[in-house]
Amino acid sequence: MPILTIDNQQIEVLKGTNVLEAAKGLGIVIPHFCYHEALGAVGACRLCAMNFVEGPVKGIQMACMIEAKDEMVITTTDQASQEMRARVIEWLMMYHPHDCPVCDEGGECQLQDMTIAGGHDIRRYGGKKRTYSNQDLGPFICHEMNRCIQCYRCVRTYQDYCGGTDFGVLGTNQRVYFGRFRDGRLESPFSGNIVDACPTGVFTDRTFRYRTRYWDIEEAPSVCPHCSLGCAVIPGGRFRELQRVRGGVNKQTNGFFICDRARFGGGYGNHPERPRVPRVDGAQTTWPEALRALRKRITDLVARHGPGAVAFLGSPRASLEANYLLDSWAASLGSRRIAFDSHWQHDRSARVAAGKLGPRAASLEDIRCSDFILMIGVDPLNEAPMLALAVRQAVRRGVRLAVIDPRPVTLPCAAAHLPLAPEALPDVLEALAGGDIRRLGRREAVLLEGILEQLRAAERPVLIGGPDLLGAAGIERLLDTARLLASEHRPCKVMTVLAGPNSFGCGVLARQGPDFEAILNGMLAGEIKALVCLESDPMTGSSDPARTGMALGKLELLAALDYLPTAAAHHAHLFLPTTAVPESAGVYVNNEGRMLLFSSAMDPGTPISVSGGGDHPPRTFLPATPGSEPRPAWATLGHLQGRRLSLRDIRQAIEMEHPNFAGLSSLTTGGEGKRIADISPPPETAPEIPFPHSEGEGTLRLYAMEDFAGSGELAGYASALAPLRPTPFVMLGALDAKQRSLSDGQQVRLRSELGGVGVALRVVPDLPAGIALVPRLRGTALESYVPGRGHYDCQILSEDEEKT
Amino acid sequence: MAEGIDVYKRRYGQNPKSLWRDLKGTVEPFYVTLRNMFKKPVTYQYPEEKRTPYPRYRARIVLTRDPEGGERCVACYLCSAACPVDCISMQSSEDENGRRYAAWFRINFSRCIYCGLCAEACPTLAIQMTPFYEFSGRDPLKMVYEKEDLLIADGGKDNEYNFYKHAGIGVANPRGGNEDEYGPVDVRSNLP
Ligand code: SF4
Ligand code: SF4
Ligand code: SF4
Ligand code: SF4
Ligand code: FES
Repeated sequence: MPILTIDNQQIEVLKGTNVLEAAKGLGIVIPHFCYHEALGAVGACRLCAMNFVEGPVKGIQMACMIEAKDEMVITTTDQASQEMRARVIEWLMMYHPHDCPVCDEGGECQLQDMTIAGGHDIRRYGGKKRTYSNQDLGPFICHEMNRCIQCYRCVRTYQDYCGGTDFGVLGTNQRVYFGRFRDGRLESPFSGNIVDACPTGVFTDRTFRYRTRYWDIEEAPSVCPHCSLGCAVIPGGRFRELQRVRGGVNKQTNGFFICDRARFGGGYGNHPERPRVPRVDGAQTTWPEALRALRKRITDLVARHGPGAVAFLGSPRASLEANYLLDSWAASLGSRRIAFDSHWQHDRSARVAAGKLGPRAASLEDIRCSDFILMIGVDPLNEAPMLALAVRQAVRRGVRLAVIDPRPVTLPCAAAHLPLAPEALPDVLEALAGGDIRRLGRREAVLLEGILEQLRAAERPVLIGGPDLLGAAGIERLLDTARLLASEHRPCKVMTVLAGPNSFGCGVLARQGPDFEAILNGMLAGEIKALVCLESDPMTGSSDPARTGMALGKLELLAALDYLPTAAAHHAHLFLPTTAVPESAGVYVNNEGRMLLFSSAMDPGTPISVSGGGDHPPRTFLPATPGSEPRPAWATLGHLQGRRLSLRDIRQAIEMEHPNFAGLSSLTTGGEGKRIADISPPPETAPEIPFPHSEGEGTLRLYAMEDFAGSGELAGYASALAPLRPTPFVMLGALDAKQRSLSDGQQVRLRSELGGVGVALRVVPDLPAGIALVPRLRGTALESYVPGRGHYDCQILSEDEEKT
Repeated sequence: MAEGIDVYKRRYGQNPKSLWRDLKGTVEPFYVTLRNMFKKPVTYQYPEEKRTPYPRYRARIVLTRDPEGGERCVACYLCSAACPVDCISMQSSEDENGRRYAAWFRINFSRCIYCGLCAEACPTLAIQMTPFYEFSGRDPLKMVYEKEDLLIADGGKDNEYNFYKHAGIGVANPRGGNEDEYGPVDVRSNLP
């Protein structure tokens, strides 16, 4: 490891570190633009000049481009390098427009900071400035090219890191331009990252256009609730409204970037219909009234029908603390009827992951560093977007990626795709684990042989699976496969994508408890009279919305604690408002079992934009903030049990009861989080769960799949994501389409047990025969097709056939 | 203690001039008073009698307009950031021509200390201090001024500057059409 001297201080750094990073290690921060830890150095901005006095290179050099070597002696404070930096920043500023007051970057602009740091405070150039025309880049990103300093960070982020192809650098000479070939929405699902990456105001967040300055926005490190990966995000609010989300840094999970679902999907808490006041039987009331009513009704029901009459439903989007308190409330009442996910297959998958993943769990960083990746039954871009980006980073290093999935798994990188029907996936898993490979077709067997060979040869292979197609049984088998493939010297890690940000935590809490299917049966049989839903909506969340609706109708008491205007919240006899994720603190356990702390960025309340009707805030004095009734779910649940608990108390109690969560109470926000302790799983008494799919006869088998912006519960309430939601469509293989004389783009009629809907047809050449796919799109006719519950028998007819 | 007495004595006790000084101190104030009794008093009998302050006096704040009559304020939040008592609040917005403006702009004058830092910070000369000092009230809410109360019809102390004629974003003139700009470059050209 080289030791070098910078400004008379010695530092030892890892081999391969550049001098700019080495200086940073000593606390010497030199102005720079183009270097970025995730993007690397290109030496484009010429700002990071240092003076190399001794060693292999001499003179003024760009520190980011030079690898730290032994015996280097470097100064950053001498006149020559200081002057160089001052000149460079002056050149960079020469054509810079007089725009700061009308630029959204102002206040958090690296160019502003570096200009001051470089000592350039008076403009000397009095001539004319170069200008550019801008492009319309769609609903998410604003473009203002005059502000560009040609650091190339945007292209390196968009093309190199995120794999986008519709944006790049154009022009020559003094006309270098960063944009698209022509106007239009940036197509990459990671496009928002150029807002964070651009050190100037060329790319700014259009959804945040002219809303707030950096010094006014209330921000806090948080965790993204839109999928199970637990990416670090920084939500920011002002005037009681969530205004933007930007990427946080967690090197074990997302790294530096986030997906557009997270960035532009933060508005669910601002939903105009968000219920903010406690309600009893449809009438708004005060907190003490509502709490009293809930306690009384539950006590009455328990007295009349026994504790089994009250069931509880936790949620993978509620914090660990709230779920734990719900569990302890159920226990204190004597009810053992508690489930933590209304989708029973997702629930079972999470329990398998929580019980068996252990040290085999791969983080996104493990995936970025892996040397062979096999994805089976997982569609990263739609189910866990940043996973696609992590996979891409491995592929960029030349790593092979194999995908076995019936869906047309789109990825921002090259992959070998083996499209197999969902029914064949168990056989594939069997074959991978050393079973009979001949049960698959010949072509498939050959391809699988190849995959197996690469898998055996790899040193750090990772297997990735998802719950929708594999189900709990498949995930279990995937884990067994990994165990068989691993040896002492060669780990074989696994990533299981789960349903929600806290699915893993719920999986630990659920232990041997019933799943929602059992609770549903209890409700239909009339044994269960009351259901308490914590931040969950069984009406749309369960795998059978129709049956769930029926069962809920039979209840004497439906109580809901939530911050979304869900169907359950709407129909609840008793409703208690809770705080949305950016307004609350807590812990999520992500899909690899990493406990991640999120803290509260803002207080709940009716946004001023609403209370003022778009104009100034009302001219009245009020004793309390309007709409500030929502309380954190954990506080309400503690209150209901008559316990005054702080978050700290709850975390300590969780640690006592579940030793897996050791270290929970010493977690800090903004760090890398902590993996839960691997404690050998409880004796296996889980029921034998069948695979979610079986061969259907005769008709077409229809599977629902997740959509990037259309399927998620939270994403469904985020209005900014609307432009990303596709119009309803169904996908069919080329052969099946031909048999039915249907063509791509045609309007067709999709008929199944859920009724008939008109949708557009998309013909996917290599979709396996006999199956069709629809995305679950909330708020459309495709809302009730739930992914992860097996297939629906369906028919696809052309509009004319339908009429006859 | 003894030391303290010594110090006193050293300073004053043995000083032969001390008697003279005491006499002077007794008589001189009477003399000053007497002398001023025959001078014109500087006191203004406010409110009957009003004083005209200098134009740069710092009192009631206004929002001015550019020479073309447009609102100068671009709602950049700099004044509210500079204000030491946090009495300015606003919401910025964008109109159909791309002009950034304040959807609402509020100054709570019952909190303002008339320090002038807001006017100092303003990059567009929009917010200005005026010499209008007769500015008080019993109802704090009446001292909360909204944008329509603050906006005046002219440019205040400067009737020439128009920020958008210098900013690059193309609001007052088309992009690249300001005096200190070249027209937009042709990125598809590959001439040297
Ligand atoms: S647009 Fe931004 S990120 Fe891209 S080169 Fe210009 S300044 Fe750098
Ligand atoms: S990948 Fe998942 S956790 Fe990460 S930012 Fe996107 S939605 Fe959020
Ligand atoms: S004069 Fe001073 S106190 Fe008054 S609004 Fe301006 S900055 Fe604030
Ligand atoms: S500093 Fe000037 S331009 Fe900016 S918000 Fe205040 S008054 Fe408006
Ligand atoms: S950071 Fe080194 S040249 Fe830009």
